[in-house]
Amino acid sequence: MKTFLKALSAATCGGAVAMALSVSTAHAEEWPTDDVRLVVPYAPGGTTDVLSRRVADLLQDEIDANVIVENRPGAGSTVATGRLARGGRDADHTILMASPGHTIGAAIYPNLAYDPVEDFVFIQNMIDIPNVMVVPADSPYNSVLEFVEAAKEQNMTFSHSGVGSSIHMSGELFKTLTQTNMTAVPFAGSGAALPALLGGDVDVSFENMPTVFSHIQSGDLKALAVTSAERSEYLPEVPTLKEIGEHNLDQFVTTAWFGLIAHESFPEEATETMQEALNKVMEREEFLSFVEQLGAEPGTVAGDEFKAFIADEVARWDKVAAEAGIRQE
Amino acid sequence: MENFTEVLQLFLATENFLAIAIGVVIGVTVGSIPGLTATMAVALALPFTFSMEPVAAILLLVGIYKGGMYGGSITAILIRTPGSPASACTLLDGYPMAQQGEAKKALKMALYSSVIADFISNIALIFFAAYLAKIALNFGAPEFFWLICFSLTIIISLASGSMIKGLIAALLGILLSLVGLDSVFGSQRLTFGNYNLMDSISFIPLLIGLFAIPEIIEFYRKKVVPHLTAKASGAGVSWAELKHSLKSIIRGSLIGVAIGAIPGTGATAAAFISYSDAKRRSPHPERFGKGEVEGVAASEAGNNGVAGATLIPLLSLGIPGDVITAIILGAFMVHGLTPGPLMFQENLTLIYALFLGIMLSSVILLFVGNAAIRYFSLIADIPKAILFPIVLMFCVYGAYAVNNDTFDVWLMLAFGLLGYVFNRTGIPAAPFLIGFILGPMFEDNLRRSLLIGSNDLSIFMRGPITWFFIALTVGSILLALYRFMTSRHKAKRRADDPGKGA
Amino acid sequence: MTKSRSTGGTLIKDPWDVVAGAVLLGFSLLLLFYLVPNYIGEPPILQNPMMSPRWLPTIVGWLLLVFSLLMMIQGVLVADDGEDSGRRFERGPWLRFALMALALVVYVGLFEMLGAIISGILATLILFIAHPVRVWWVYGLAIAFPVGVSLLFTEVMNVPLPMMPL
Repeated sequence: MKTFLKALSAATCGGAVAMALSVSTAHAEEWPTDDVRLVVPYAPGGTTDVLSRRVADLLQDEIDANVIVENRPGAGSTVATGRLARGGRDADHTILMASPGHTIGAAIYPNLAYDPVEDFVFIQNMIDIPNVMVVPADSPYNSVLEFVEAAKEQNMTFSHSGVGSSIHMSGELFKTLTQTNMTAVPFAGSGAALPALLGGDVDVSFENMPTVFSHIQSGDLKALAVTSAERSEYLPEVPTLKEIGEHNLDQFVTTAWFGLIAHESFPEEATETMQEALNKVMEREEFLSFVEQLGAEPGTVAGDEFKAFIADEVARWDKVAAEAGIRQE
Repeated sequence: MENFTEVLQLFLATENFLAIAIGVVIGVTVGSIPGLTATMAVALALPFTFSMEPVAAILLLVGIYKGGMYGGSITAILIRTPGSPASACTLLDGYPMAQQGEAKKALKMALYSSVIADFISNIALIFFAAYLAKIALNFGAPEFFWLICFSLTIIISLASGSMIKGLIAALLGILLSLVGLDSVFGSQRLTFGNYNLMDSISFIPLLIGLFAIPEIIEFYRKKVVPHLTAKASGAGVSWAELKHSLKSIIRGSLIGVAIGAIPGTGATAAAFISYSDAKRRSPHPERFGKGEVEGVAASEAGNNGVAGATLIPLLSLGIPGDVITAIILGAFMVHGLTPGPLMFQENLTLIYALFLGIMLSSVILLFVGNAAIRYFSLIADIPKAILFPIVLMFCVYGAYAVNNDTFDVWLMLAFGLLGYVFNRTGIPAAPFLIGFILGPMFEDNLRRSLLIGSNDLSIFMRGPITWFFIALTVGSILLALYRFMTSRHKAKRRADDPGKGA
Repeated sequence: MTKSRSTGGTLIKDPWDVVAGAVLLGFSLLLLFYLVPNYIGEPPILQNPMMSPRWLPTIVGWLLLVFSLLMMIQGVLVADDGEDSGRRFERGPWLRFALMALALVVYVGLFEMLGAIISGILATLILFIAHPVRVWWVYGLAIAFPVGVSLLFTEVMNVPLPMMPL
């Protein structure tokens, strides 16, 4: 009982301190007038979560407010996004770390109550992570073209981290573009998928760069190509699928992007303040070294450009999902 | 030798000791609050580690992880509310013990068993990481499939009363675990269009609902029963009792290590496997589930044995085995380190400093746990009329906190009612839980194997690991049948009591 | 609690099991012939029936059907040994039970509307009254705990709870 009360009083004190801090840092008239909530549409752990916490930590220094990270997982990010779209009292102080789940989710989940493009303000794309087409070290294929030739003859398997992940959809896109025989093998997350790839149980994967980077370096996996538009500076000798070009691969450009969005009623002034602050964050040493560790690139698009990018992505995944038969009507 | 001094330099910083101690304290506290899991605490502590030295940062998170693993057992024992999923097994014997006035003994046994298992797990991590990691890589979908089949057979030994009821419970658990998006095709299964169900049913509300709520409902339905107080709740664990359970603890720890080293099975399964193993080997299995101290020891050994071992695939392969290790992986990356084969070459001193810290965390857990027990065991003396309303409040807040949604509060109450009905009809809750945990793994690995092997069934017999687990599965079923037959036989001879053995 | 009821003479030895078995039987039929075909989508092309999203639910359904029948038979033939079930007890006053149900309704129905603190205080007070607590200062806990725990969750742990009445 005593400990409980002790813990309680400690908690109350902590709470009081936190509240006092939030009061002292908030200005009266300029945005932000309150704590900023950064919603992570996934459970703790994973790239989105870690990135959001890193960004929130740095962002607090640049704006006059606390940035509080909140996890609201559910249905491949669409639960949190749906809530954001509904707006509400705090809509002017709520931002969300969107990721490919935003665009892919719109393509594969039925009857979403929101429009993935029009219902939101697109603040800033924070990072882009290329996917890497990797095969096990002892795989007989040493180039994308060899792989495609073989995949036209026989059935290939690719691992992915769950239905609707960017890894899954990249595989489906590859299959559709090259007209090859490929079977998706689902796993519960990249952590579970990786042993199957390392052990040679599946033939190929289109994993996110940070998951496989160290295995490529150690020689346990062979990188055949990267999916970004430009070669990655971390794997300069690995070609992009776009430059390979044959078998319609010139159309294969995709990255796992992570960017901040808000409800459409998010004030314009706030968007500007945020963009300014985020640009400062993105120049910080701490941010850049983290991005480097992820094998990622800092995001480039913001505002309307970001919005246009999202619109293209939505259209593209919509098509892939329909062709792969993973949309639920 | 130069390396050794370097390691010590890295390790012997006050910051490291503080980090472990604070981590363990946070872990035990948070782990003991229903609904707040060690996972949440690790995620919340992550930003604080950004500005710390790498070793201290990782040790803080590992400390929380280990503390949380133990902390969950405290409320499981005291108020039948598993603070974390992995401690669900501990309550099977821990709560009956608390009700019989032996709360302190249960808590102490849980602690000693956790610390021993933790220590064994750490040894495995430090000395056999490379070897175990290799086995983990050979563990593909077919191997997993058989491991799950073997694990499913523990339902038979868990069902204490009627085998039929136990199997029904397991089937219901499997059925509910399948709600959500299909993992292969993404089609909806029994979600009825509800978005809250698409990621399948949340585990925490289910857990709290199934165990804590029925107890509360029952309390308000029954006539007042005299409260059993044993003043600070009885004696601790005697040396003889610890020695008696030691075999189960060591076996449980090894089971935990094996499960932890293979990414993706988890501490909950390890606890149940260890528990049923202890029960099967016990000379008096009928006491399990009614307050057998060895049951507490076995399940805690199983779940804490996992903690150190999950770091094996993380450090040596860069593969996170569960959500917590995924966050720890993030912490490594924030500090410019990438776990994996290369880290052992490039940052060996750092890894050894980490190992020293992880070893130390077991010792600190022992002290923190002992201090916690002194106060927590007082909870057992609070009259239930005061305790239960507060427990219910924690349950509701905790269920809400999982997804920040009232839907989960509904879910918790629904499972509470189900648990109540289970109690009234004599259907055991533990097999239900096993079914719920293992159901999706069973199906996923079956389908994964079929996909990988292009529908060729020979993949299920592809190597020594599969043969080993097939033998275990078959052996386990045969043993259960044998026990069933012999107990039937005995029951028949005792003509006046036809109910036994059914 | 050992065997507390005579088993001889009655036709059905454990009516509870028979009822529970019948309910489960009904549920498994509902599952097999209504829920699975209507609420589990199946892709048009399947190479292997085991790949179907309906495969495991169907198997579970049939097994449930078999076991619920067995449970009914067991209920007819075998008396409950009463060891593991907490089903026989002296019932307390109904008002207490009703108040507990009310407290649950407060949580479920009003949690988001009243916020965590107020609904917590309300429900805890109801429960304290239901199973009368006669020490007056305990009622202070009914306020201290919801406030303290809510603050612990929201301020220290950063776990959001609905705070204020909307």
